[in-house]
Amino acid sequence: MDLGSLLYLGVTFGLFVIFVLIVMRTYSRKRKDEGEIAKYRMLDDD
Amino acid sequence: MENRAYNYAIVRSFVTWSVIWGLVAVLVGVIVSLQMVEPDLNFPPYLTFGRLRPIHTNAGIYGWGVGVIFATFLYIVQRLCKTPLWSDKLAKFQLWFFNATIIASAVTLLLGYTTSKEYHEMEWPIDVMIVILWVAFAINIVMTILKRKDEQMYISLWYMLAAIIGVAILFTVNAAAVPASLFKSYSAYAGTNDANVEWWFGHNAVAMALTAPPLAMFYYFLPKTTGVPIYSHRLSITAFWSLIFMYLWTGAHHLLWTPVPDWIQTLAMGFSVMLIAPSWGSVFNGYLSMNGQWHQMRENYLVKYLILGITFYGLQTLQGPMQAIRTFSAFIHYTDWVPAHIHMGTMGWVSMISFASIYFLIPRIYGREVYSIPLANLQFWLILVGQLIWSISLWIAGVLQAGMWNAMNPDGSLTYTFMETMVEMYPYWWARVFGGLIYMAGLVVFIYNLYMTVSKGKPLATQTASVEGRA
Ligand code: HEM
Repeated sequence: MDLGSLLYLGVTFGLFVIFVLIVMRTYSRKRKDEGEIAKYRMLDDD
Repeated sequence: MENRAYNYAIVRSFVTWSVIWGLVAVLVGVIVSLQMVEPDLNFPPYLTFGRLRPIHTNAGIYGWGVGVIFATFLYIVQRLCKTPLWSDKLAKFQLWFFNATIIASAVTLLLGYTTSKEYHEMEWPIDVMIVILWVAFAINIVMTILKRKDEQMYISLWYMLAAIIGVAILFTVNAAAVPASLFKSYSAYAGTNDANVEWWFGHNAVAMALTAPPLAMFYYFLPKTTGVPIYSHRLSITAFWSLIFMYLWTGAHHLLWTPVPDWIQTLAMGFSVMLIAPSWGSVFNGYLSMNGQWHQMRENYLVKYLILGITFYGLQTLQGPMQAIRTFSAFIHYTDWVPAHIHMGTMGWVSMISFASIYFLIPRIYGREVYSIPLANLQFWLILVGQLIWSISLWIAGVLQAGMWNAMNPDGSLTYTFMETMVEMYPYWWARVFGGLIYMAGLVVFIYNLYMTVSKGKPLATQTASVEGRA
């Protein structure tokens, strides 16, 4: 594997780590209720 | 009172123009399908299959698809952000520049100017127009989101932003070219790199133009139609980020068994299979949102369109990963199986959601009740049956074609000549013409229903205040 391929895979892995952090944040117990507010609020945008 | 300031006039215009371009796309589609069974219907130099096919695909994706994106996004962003559009003037400019771009594309393609890159056929001056158009659209949406009243963004806004940013990046990278004259340019990439960039663009165009926007619409219009919230907002957010993360690497599944490095192909294959998870995250979210509401499938025609739409999305995202596996790809690649896959996506998933969205919008932007629900139901069955005939006949054709291409005699020679395999396709291609005509009949019913709604629909007393659009 050359440098280009390692970079390609490195970026992929880096993005994966960011993705895992986002999931952990979304599902953290602290943000449980907050995470669902938007779906109720969108119903009364009229 | 804030309602008064919402700009619905621009939404009305985009609905009208998207439907016009949609009709052009389907009409040209039927013509090219006829040209395949009756080659005498090619009239050189302009009205040949080679020139009309990209007009069909570009009118479909950019005229109809992007037209609906403009209409719905400009509506949804105002509603979800509870604030009028950032700039009405910019939106109006976007409308006319959109039409100018589509017309310029159609004319140059008819004249034979093409980059020959699929879904990116237009030559560089039109690329410049597309960039201007997209920047105008992006500025208006982003600025409106920035002045929103609710801090937390509903999932539709996330998909909208992803589509806006995604298309901008994909398009500019793939458009990199050296102009040789006013209507001729050469790609900045060469050989395998060019193919890799083209399909990185091509497949992510599927993600950012044909997946993220209909998902934004689905997540908005389903709860609005049923009156109950989506099952889980957190699931939708997780599915969103995993979709964004995974799609980026899948482009090379269009290039399996080619000189593209093996590890890129394998990566694309792996990520394509993983893509089932975020796709079905949205499908399940849609189905679970219907808990206790399934009776609405019978009672509310919009729910029928939306749920069938997300079901085709589910099927599409199971079939796609299968096609991305090397052994399966070796069998179906280059066959008629692939257009069948595309049309389940475009006629089933994207268009079902688009029709539902427009039916939802019409009473709200015109202040009139939909003229005829039975006609909307008739249209539903016409487009469903038309699309199924189209796709199923070409799946069968694809398998037959692949089987015949691969058949070998004991001495290792091919059993069938290429011509023999072509002749076998005729019944299926006729079935496609037939399916296309049924689908077009559905579209004509739709247009008639819209026209009658706008001209003769009963006024909707409670909505009058909110439809006083500007611009
Ligand atoms: C998990 C999601 C999906 C995956 C992994 C996937 C995979 C694939 C693969 C492997 C091909 C190439 C087939 C071949 O030429 O051998 C393909 C073609 C295509 N797919 Fe999908 N697909 C997915 C979803 C969708 C959706 C939702 C649409 C929406 C309409 C769509 C539209 C298309 C189009 C337009 C092409 C044709 C490209 C061409 O012109 O060659 N796909 N897909």
